[in-house]
Amino acid sequence: MKIDLYNIDRRLIYLLVTIAIALPLCFEVSMPPARMKSAELAFKAVDELANDAKNIAFVALDYGPNTFAETGTQTEVIVEHLLRKRIPFALFSIYPQSEPFLNSIPESKAKALMHEMPGQTWEYGKDWINLGYRPAGGLLLQAIPKSEDLGKLFKNDAFGTPLSQLAAFKNVKTLEDIGFLAQFTSLTGTFSSYIQFFQKPGYRPLFVHGCTSITVPEAYIYMDSGQIVGLLEGIAGAAWYSELLRERYPERSIDKARKVNTGLGIAHLVIIALIVMGNLMGLFNQKLRT
Amino acid sequence: MNWQVLNVLIGGIATLAIFSFLIKENSVYRFFEHVFIGIAAGLGVVLSIKEFFWPNVLVPMLGLDILTFPDGTTSHPYNSGYLLYLIPMLVGLLYYFIFSSKYSWLAKIVIGISLGASAGISFKGFFAETIPQLTSSFKPLIVIANGSTDWLASFSNCVFVFTLVSVMVYFLFSFKSESKTISKISVSGRYLMMVCFGAFFGSTVMARMALLVERLDFLINSWVPAITKFF
Repeated sequence: MKIDLYNIDRRLIYLLVTIAIALPLCFEVSMPPARMKSAELAFKAVDELANDAKNIAFVALDYGPNTFAETGTQTEVIVEHLLRKRIPFALFSIYPQSEPFLNSIPESKAKALMHEMPGQTWEYGKDWINLGYRPAGGLLLQAIPKSEDLGKLFKNDAFGTPLSQLAAFKNVKTLEDIGFLAQFTSLTGTFSSYIQFFQKPGYRPLFVHGCTSITVPEAYIYMDSGQIVGLLEGIAGAAWYSELLRERYPERSIDKARKVNTGLGIAHLVIIALIVMGNLMGLFNQKLRT
Repeated sequence: MNWQVLNVLIGGIATLAIFSFLIKENSVYRFFEHVFIGIAAGLGVVLSIKEFFWPNVLVPMLGLDILTFPDGTTSHPYNSGYLLYLIPMLVGLLYYFIFSSKYSWLAKIVIGISLGASAGISFKGFFAETIPQLTSSFKPLIVIANGSTDWLASFSNCVFVFTLVSVMVYFLFSFKSESKTISKISVSGRYLMMVCFGAFFGSTVMARMALLVERLDFLINSWVPAITKFF
């Protein structure tokens, strides 16, 4: 049978890639991730946060299910780290599609931690709060630094409870009370809005950003300028962050970040092999013709 | 069967339906594509009303948050200041005059306000975003750390500065230069941009693959067990 490599059916390539990725997932193979320096800086920023009763961390989830593989996994590791360190945080979003994750991620992480450490509890309202989806995000981000009482600006959490009744938000008044901001998005414009407006003269909270692999080259420039202190680069950044969490908390089990990162590594190897093969075949055929 | 299992089952079917496009264009794929677009569009509207417009605008404006106790007293007095919300709401509604040929000029008022506000915000945002980057681009070509030269950092800064200058030279279209040096710098700027585009393309492939891996992980480790449980 003669195979025409110039007109190979693309579905065969899809099948090959799918099988190559599916095999390690079926057999639960997981490999340690590569070291990512920017993710390490993000880990350090969270790890060095003081457990101050007055301070709160803000976690902004601005992504939909379409990029959950990367941004969702990044959120999970940072949320877990904040919960482990008992740093209260407020989740919110200016992107409607992330609304379900504002609830599901901290809840599942708190549940996993309570399972891991019987006797310890993590509670909504005390350890984290959900401020929900907020429309007109650009205007909200500008209003936060100007606000003298963030409780009045946000008023209620996503379930309608006044923020004054929630322990985590009780002492939060101005931007200075937000010690840390983690923002996850696949949209560079949204990220830019945070860079531009989530600050006031003389104060910017420690800012860590999680982006998809596509936007990594654009996000690096903000690391270089010091506008962000840490960066999670796609799934690779999340996997290395997860590895650092495992080093710090050895009882922690292997999570999704590492599994997906292993699959991604194999996918890359298959693609590189296909590129090399394609080029070699091209050269070979060219030589045959001449 | 609980909601969680049903959720996983529907998620798996929807994923496979979208993946079926890889085999060929088909009606099942089209149906799910329309479902996704509809959900994405509808979700934004519903959430804007449910989580913002109703609790933060309509409830205080209509006084629905005031509780009346059995003795006739109220939790707090009605704040008529909330009625001022009607002004921007009415101005915003003028946008719908865009559908009228006679009164479409009224829509232009709203468009003008939006454009003016956006321009002002962008102007402020541009400086807040770009100035720190501009200042950070002034890097020392020789880095002295702890009294000795840090060769790696120096090399890194030299590459940075050369890339910055050469790419800017490449985009210098205002006048023609006959200088061979300038044209060589310009060509190297072009090649350096090619490297950058390669990185962009590579990272795009990486992102797409990550999405595929996550979906396959979902199908293999969540959907298949749910199916076996179902049957």
